[in-house]
Amino acid sequence: MGLPLLSLIVFTPAAGAAVLMFLRSDAAVRWVALGVTVLDLALCIAMLAGFDTTTHAMQFTETRQWVPAFGINYALGIDGISALFVFLTALLGSTCVLASWVAIDRKVKEFMVSLLAMEALMLGVFCALDLFLFYVFWEAMLIPMYLIIGVWGGDGRVYAAFKFFLYTLAGSVLFLVGIIVLYFNGGETFDILALTAQDLPFGVQSWLFFAFLVAFAVKVPMVPVHTWLPHAHVQAPTAGSIILAGVLLKMGAYGFLRFSLPMLPDASVYFSTLMLSLSALAIVYGGLLALAQDDLKKLVAYSSISHMGFVTMGLFALNLRGLEGGILQMFNHGVTTGALFLFVGLIYERTHTRSIADYGGMMKAAPVYTAFLALFILSSMALPGTNSFVGELLVLSGGFSANLAVGAAAVLGALLGAAYLLGMYGKVALGPASVSARFKIRDVNAREIAAILSLTVFVLWVGLYPKPFLNIIDASAKHLLAQVHGEESGP
Amino acid sequence: MTAAALLQSVLASLPEIVVVTGACTLLILGQFVQKRQEHFLVWASVAIVLIAALATLMLAGEVRPAYTGMFVADRFAVFFKFVFYLATVLTFLLSRKYADIEGIGSSEYYVLLLFALSGMMIMASATDLMSIYVGLELVVLCTYVLTGFLRRERRSNEAALKYVILGAVSTGIFLYGVSLVYGLTGTTQLDAMAAAVTGGPLDPGLLLAVVFIVAGLVFKVGAVPFHMWVPDVYEGAPTTITAFMSVGPKAAGFAVILRVFLNPLVAASDVWIIVAVIAVVTMALGSFVALVQDNFKRLLAYSSIAHAGFAIFGVVAGGADGIASVMLYLLIYSFMNLGIFGIVTMMRNGDFSGEVIEDYAGLAKQHPGLALLMLLYLFSLAGIPPTAGFFAKFYVLAALVERGFVMLAVIAVLLSAVAAYFYIRIVMVIYMREPERTFDPALTPLVRATLAFTAAGTIGIGLFPSWFLRLAQHSAFGG
Repeated sequence: MGLPLLSLIVFTPAAGAAVLMFLRSDAAVRWVALGVTVLDLALCIAMLAGFDTTTHAMQFTETRQWVPAFGINYALGIDGISALFVFLTALLGSTCVLASWVAIDRKVKEFMVSLLAMEALMLGVFCALDLFLFYVFWEAMLIPMYLIIGVWGGDGRVYAAFKFFLYTLAGSVLFLVGIIVLYFNGGETFDILALTAQDLPFGVQSWLFFAFLVAFAVKVPMVPVHTWLPHAHVQAPTAGSIILAGVLLKMGAYGFLRFSLPMLPDASVYFSTLMLSLSALAIVYGGLLALAQDDLKKLVAYSSISHMGFVTMGLFALNLRGLEGGILQMFNHGVTTGALFLFVGLIYERTHTRSIADYGGMMKAAPVYTAFLALFILSSMALPGTNSFVGELLVLSGGFSANLAVGAAAVLGALLGAAYLLGMYGKVALGPASVSARFKIRDVNAREIAAILSLTVFVLWVGLYPKPFLNIIDASAKHLLAQVHGEESGP
Repeated sequence: MTAAALLQSVLASLPEIVVVTGACTLLILGQFVQKRQEHFLVWASVAIVLIAALATLMLAGEVRPAYTGMFVADRFAVFFKFVFYLATVLTFLLSRKYADIEGIGSSEYYVLLLFALSGMMIMASATDLMSIYVGLELVVLCTYVLTGFLRRERRSNEAALKYVILGAVSTGIFLYGVSLVYGLTGTTQLDAMAAAVTGGPLDPGLLLAVVFIVAGLVFKVGAVPFHMWVPDVYEGAPTTITAFMSVGPKAAGFAVILRVFLNPLVAASDVWIIVAVIAVVTMALGSFVALVQDNFKRLLAYSSIAHAGFAIFGVVAGGADGIASVMLYLLIYSFMNLGIFGIVTMMRNGDFSGEVIEDYAGLAKQHPGLALLMLLYLFSLAGIPPTAGFFAKFYVLAALVERGFVMLAVIAVLLSAVAAYFYIRIVMVIYMREPERTFDPALTPLVRATLAFTAAGTIGIGLFPSWFLRLAQHSAFGG
């Protein structure tokens, strides 16, 4: 065992945050924060380069005793399911720093410290192989996120931050009891891999399934516990929205993948129809709500609810296409919706309005901006050639074979998506130029293009050549499916 | 009692003797201390506590029963005594500047705190209802006086009066329970009581006695239905004394509760159902009423009621892990609560009371360091990892689930989510509001040291709970 690569990945941003505390000038703070996130991204690329796609086993594992009395370990490791998200988190980390470069003009240091702390904790969640450690990272994220929304957000930030905090806290405390119940029923261990190997009675499984469901559903968020999301998104600063949409929403789905499906397979199968129906509901309901929005951020926020519905649908289709599509779609949603929030943020910095009605004819004023926007809108609509097409196609094909009605509802949701996204683009980019002319909008500058380009690469890469990404997921997804259906599979 | 037994007894109670003797000496010396030399009082008091701590440590090796079964120096007592030392020393360190500002520079302040400390120590070691009573009264008599120490303030006087009257009633109830026990079993020793009733069916009179004793003890930790004094007394007392009372005497009350409640006599009598109800109601009341408080000290009073409720869940769980969970909870609570009261104490400067929540508006802008500390304590009180408060909560819940009380665990966590709301509300005021006026915190090196120490404890136990967990498990009896 050589370098503890995962520890380095997790703690580099944390160390960076500590360094920032001692800096005085805002410019230095920004550059150091950028440097740290880029360094972390480089570490993640190194990690992916050394990732073995042929096995579902945990890689780069590290284990140290933490609280021996409870068998709690500091254990890190990644498999194909977490690898993509570790990478996505690091990728969006640097995007967030770039997005906040001028948008955050007060308490810059505190903001960057929160941002880096957040990144460290999110990376920790995806790397943790110990349930207790996972929970510590999972719950600690509330603190920096609460501050990011509440201190640097819009006018209604305090209410939004509160609502975010209480919803997620109320969800996770039940999760905590669930974890402890699991500990005592699963052989008194917090080791995630050991717990997945346990065969729990169905009664315990279904109890735990619902305890976990509350926590994960709030984070995803699934209808009907989604109401915190639009508030949080609308009020959060751009970087906050990117984190929320790009990574935080993935945590709920990741929880299903890491805990619900492998540890509670019988309950997962038993309740899959319920979960599929809730997903279909989210897809259609989120799409309808998005259709009705005039606020750009709200539109993207509601579209997230709809898109995450696709993800949960893929997961609970409980077949390989659905599962791989769902996981890929999580990654895609992070890239695409993260970028969309970035676009909304860029335009908001210039005009200080988010109302769609205030815009029109942006094509003329900011051609580069609108060209990129078009690409990401198409990606969000899942047009062939973009990343989401691959994911959504897999999810739909998985969903149809699981449940015809649910698949049909999802197609309706996809249509709705086209409607609100094209409608929004039409009003903002095309339309009469007179409307937005009064703002004197500058086109994007080099820094902003850098942030956008880093995400554009993945829209096209996954869209045109998804194989490397599916390869990463493949072995682990197959293994997970075998666990759910109670079959043993080789390494 | 033979000379040898007496020597043994004196040895076992050496720390108590050190504190009492020290307090008496200080009482006399205090009369000769000039104005502007009050530092001497702080250092002398701290020195007395440290000597007692040293003595405790040296005697910690073995179990020493003393005074014909009324008193015992065991690891359980040692653990609690260290919590008391911690609370008392930090209170001394916080007091100096505050006493100056409030004009309460007299030596009695320190002497009374030392006497209260000795009372708490006796409570932790008591194994007989009579010695419990002696310790209990020693503590409350001192705190009555300390509560009313701001003589010029009506609020302080009123609080003291209320405390005395309600305290006397609870003492009466407790003594009545004791007399019933003595009448029915012929003994007041906890072990002998247990022996007297094993075998036969439980006497309903004895059950009644237990209920009375429970009521008396519950008053001391501020649990429902005997919580009414807490907000008024906490608000009216000098802030340093509030800090002390919320930690020291409360921990002492729990020490007694653990000894009495987990005694076979009580364990046999299904009393845990009463205790469970008390825990739920206490936590619910503390959490919900705290939501609407505007005065910070009152809010912390309700918060401390809620925390007492959470700790009682550990008593319900029982067993070695249940006991250890309560002990660890109290230790961690001491760190975070003294920390936050340290900040409240320091906010009292000039015409600034530091008691209204509005006073903290924009603290983050003016004093980012203090705001960060406050953030730490508040999140710890709310039980968010990686702070120590989370681990405290986790251990109690684990003990509950282990005993099969999953429903109680669910209730406890849901109520703690409610409680999180008001801690987060204060974070909001600190970080998300604009400061209304500038203020100058009463920061002395001693206060700084206190805050640094409590912060180190709050974050340190959170990140490395292992050692403290072992300590608590090692010190719990019945394991």
